[in-house]
Amino acid sequence: MNVRTVFAAALAVAALAGGPALAKDVVIGTEGAYAPWNLSNPDGSLDGFEIELMKNVCPRAQLNCTFVTHDWDTMIESLNANKFDVILDGLSITPDRAKVIAFSIPYASTPVGFATLKDSPLANLPETGTTVTVTGDPAHDKAEVAKFLDAFKGKTIGVQTATIYTKFLDDFFGPVATIREYKTVAERDADLIAGRVDATFDDETALGASLATKGNEDMVLTGPEMAGAAWGPGIGLGLRQSDTDLKTAFDKAIKAAIDDGTVKTLSEKWFKLDVTPKQ
Amino acid sequence: MIDFSLLGFGQGGWGAWLLAGAVMTLVVTLCALFIGAVVGALVAAAKLSKRRLWRVVGDTYTTIFRGVPELLIIYLIYFGGSGAIGAFGNLFGNKGLSPPAFLVGAVGVGLISASYQAEVFRGSFMAVAAGEIEAARALGMSRLLRFRRIIVPQVWRFSLPGLGNVWQLSLKDSALISVTGLAELMRQSQVAAGSTHLYFTFYVAGGVLYLVLTALSDRAFGVAERRVARSFRGSLGRG
Repeated sequence: MNVRTVFAAALAVAALAGGPALAKDVVIGTEGAYAPWNLSNPDGSLDGFEIELMKNVCPRAQLNCTFVTHDWDTMIESLNANKFDVILDGLSITPDRAKVIAFSIPYASTPVGFATLKDSPLANLPETGTTVTVTGDPAHDKAEVAKFLDAFKGKTIGVQTATIYTKFLDDFFGPVATIREYKTVAERDADLIAGRVDATFDDETALGASLATKGNEDMVLTGPEMAGAAWGPGIGLGLRQSDTDLKTAFDKAIKAAIDDGTVKTLSEKWFKLDVTPKQ
Repeated sequence: MIDFSLLGFGQGGWGAWLLAGAVMTLVVTLCALFIGAVVGALVAAAKLSKRRLWRVVGDTYTTIFRGVPELLIIYLIYFGGSGAIGAFGNLFGNKGLSPPAFLVGAVGVGLISASYQAEVFRGSFMAVAAGEIEAARALGMSRLLRFRRIIVPQVWRFSLPGLGNVWQLSLKDSALISVTGLAELMRQSQVAAGSTHLYFTFYVAGGVLYLVLTALSDRAFGVAERRVARSFRGSLGRG
């Protein structure tokens, strides 16, 4: 069945590339295995935040979108090898990736926050439940963090290594707290449960997944949601650099979906929080 | 621990999904083994050739395909193949043509398996007693008849145990095709795991299905070996 799908996709791509400037058929490559962004149901149908969003965005852009599933590891290479036209897979917009592919404007930007244990003194941080904007400007962000920094004096914060969050913690929390890095989320969470770290730091969709995992029932979110440009531009569609018309069409439609609250509604449905990019 | 209703065939159960993956794994590996047998026989013939050039060609093939990581070969065929077929398509104004993942997988795993099968065939050919070929010649059998009546049946018999090993290797190599998005067992397990966040459950389930496939094929080869051994006098077969 997959052979036929891929072949059909290849033909669709062929038709698209050979056609006039703005074609109507677009093949979207997605993993179908990155819940709740995109996921598969046992019957093979696709579902998730991004899938529903695209079913809203494509008609706005007057594009006839079909989905193919593809492995994450070869997503970007496959886009450039014309296996499909769009990457839809929780793809963060980064300067490195922007060298080889183009991005649409972001349709999501996940806020970042802390998790701790129910009975921890950190469980009721000041500003809990509010949203703080972090812009990436050190002076501005330092002032925002100062509102609840004192609570972390002498505490240990666990974070997944090699993420943008590590640097943020080092810069603003490093002077008062110990930052401990972990290779995987599972190790980090195990140490929170075991009391070896006092809090964990991650994007809230990831923390939400940790909270929902069996054995982590005592975990709670604490402190403000931190959202904004400090975490990079956000999550966007991956496009070939040559497909400028497609980018224009998607940008316009995504902007419309953000402006009329579609992104917010879908986000709250799938993430239980608002991931609409702030700017 | 593991919620077994998730692995069932009812509403919300991933049983059929995983089983479809197992069938795809089996089919793609069978195709790969077939491609490997054809290419492998040719490579074995080249390695056994009296001509030095052919021997070099055969040796180069087995050196490369046994010495390079399987994943790399699959990437090469997947992306390199796209380039080649794409260029071919462009000639006819048909841009963006790309080989289907199934074909890439079967050819990739098949070419790797060919390098191992070639060694199996070569070893088996050398195991055929020189006296038998001499005797056949003495009886006036033609080259073709010797090949058909004396060499093939014995090479086939000596090869079976080795081919069983190659089959198992290929079955596991086929998991690497998941990088092309082909809906085989590895990929189906990943999708189910990622969609439910139950990684342990679905990777264990996938592992069990691989074990079922390898255990069943082990038995099938055992039966085949005994059958083939029946037509020979007790010497080598397991009886």
